[in-house]
Amino acid sequence: MPEPAPALKRQSMTTRLLLAPGILWMALFLVLPILMIVYVSFWTQTTFNISPTPTLASWKAFFGSDTYTGALWTTLRLWLIILASTFIVGYPTALFVGLLVKSKTVSTVLLVICVIPFWTSFLIRVLAWRPMLGKEGAINIVLMKLHIISQPIEVLLFTELSVVIGMTQIYCVFMVGPIAFMLARIDRNIIEAARDLGAGFGRIFWKIIFPLSLPGVVVGAIFVSVMVLGEFATSAALSGRKVNLLGNIIVTQVGSLKWAMASVVGVILTVVMGIVIAGFLRIVDLKREL
Amino acid sequence: MESRILKPVLALYVALFLLFLYGPFVVLTILSFQQGPEGGPQFPIIEWSTYWYRQLFGLTPPSRIAPLPFGDALIRSLVLALMTMVVSTVLGVMSAQAFRRRFRGASLVFYLIVLGMMVPGVLTGLGTSLLANNIIGIERHWYTTAFATHVAYTYPFAFLVMLAILNRFDDSVEEASWSLGVDPWTTFRKVTFPLIFPGVLSAMLFAFTLSLDEFPRTLFASGRDQTLPLAIYGTFAVEIHPNIFAFGVLTTLFSFALLSVYGILMALSVRRARRLAMQEDIA
Repeated sequence: MPEPAPALKRQSMTTRLLLAPGILWMALFLVLPILMIVYVSFWTQTTFNISPTPTLASWKAFFGSDTYTGALWTTLRLWLIILASTFIVGYPTALFVGLLVKSKTVSTVLLVICVIPFWTSFLIRVLAWRPMLGKEGAINIVLMKLHIISQPIEVLLFTELSVVIGMTQIYCVFMVGPIAFMLARIDRNIIEAARDLGAGFGRIFWKIIFPLSLPGVVVGAIFVSVMVLGEFATSAALSGRKVNLLGNIIVTQVGSLKWAMASVVGVILTVVMGIVIAGFLRIVDLKREL
Repeated sequence: MESRILKPVLALYVALFLLFLYGPFVVLTILSFQQGPEGGPQFPIIEWSTYWYRQLFGLTPPSRIAPLPFGDALIRSLVLALMTMVVSTVLGVMSAQAFRRRFRGASLVFYLIVLGMMVPGVLTGLGTSLLANNIIGIERHWYTTAFATHVAYTYPFAFLVMLAILNRFDDSVEEASWSLGVDPWTTFRKVTFPLIFPGVLSAMLFAFTLSLDEFPRTLFASGRDQTLPLAIYGTFAVEIHPNIFAFGVLTTLFSFALLSVYGILMALSVRRARRLAMQEDIA
């Protein structure tokens, strides 16, 4: 093999030096912690402590308990529901912002308006749903004033429905953004051409617009999945502890110093996460879409 | 054409969407003007007042409801966000700069960095705590363990922003500088950095706001002293009073101020770039 030219050698040296701090940080504070969770999930749990004696006890306890496996199913169910609801709520908005609005300024302004609620603290945004959904909350008051209902709807707060409503509102913008971005990139001439050839809007939508926006949908789905799968605050605040996600189990286990069990749930969450993200990344190459 | 029907229908839909998006915040703002200290965090408004705002600043006589213990937590959060912002922006610029050249394992490194924004915070928080407790044997603090997890979260955002900026960067200006004999570091400082500065600002803004509001990572990793989101979470367990709503309104206004500063800096740097370009044209 020929020796690389000195200039090239210096370049690769620079590249290495530039990358080293970042790689080191991620290895130490991201990869190592995750490996640590896997490791600790096989440790022995005593009342207030853990010791490195290997055991499968916590794993057996997880799969032997309906509460824990139930949390896994609740997490998966809620994840699918939120994925669907954010898509349904978000897509038409993205269609309007990204494709139908002709002026670039108007569409930027609309996107900024969508992002503004994120300037309120996440936890306070969650909390704000309580006076919205409660028995004497804003929604019930408005609906009764409009004579649409005569009795306040009580299932709105402290149920699974309230968690779904809350999470949809908090996460739908992560769907709108990427989809609108992809829609804005569609060459209008293609749509014009299809229209000239006599295609109706439905046909144009299903054959051109929707397929071209799909990478945006996938990127949005990744964002939403990442956030919903690791959630625990919204479910804790809005379900009145009725909805227990994997995240909630981790928090309660750590709270009672059951680190080994928390780690088992952590490993399961990591695996679920890995499968979901790998699945989405098979559909779309994130690095190319940038 | 269908778009004549479709457009108004979708416009109406977007209006409803924005109502859904803003509804809770509007309600929150209204309720923050609830009468105090007897008024609760629900309708109806007994009497409009600024009691809860005054209470936040300690301007009300002591009552049954204790003021929010947010002072120290707020300062901690701001310092943490600043630290996180500086480190993750520096890391982000460095890595994105490296990615302008092809190198082996680029894909692997890319996904290693992006992993930071994909792993749920509750996991990084848990793992870092386990590592600190059981392997290294150090105490957890907001400025050590929590800081490490914050950077691992915000650095990918800074990196992606910088990558997008540098992808559209015109290499010829740097080459011109090199060919004039300017060393790479000076070239970066005098040529590259001013050109990518708008991107750096965005990366800083991302890192700062993400860190300021970061909750799940901090929950386990911060140890004894609370940051602001943890203090807010603490109020979840006990009874809620409208003071938390007043606080929410104020922090939102603070965010707006921050966004305005960002907007002004951005506009200034764009204008400067344009002026420089014009000077070049004249010369």
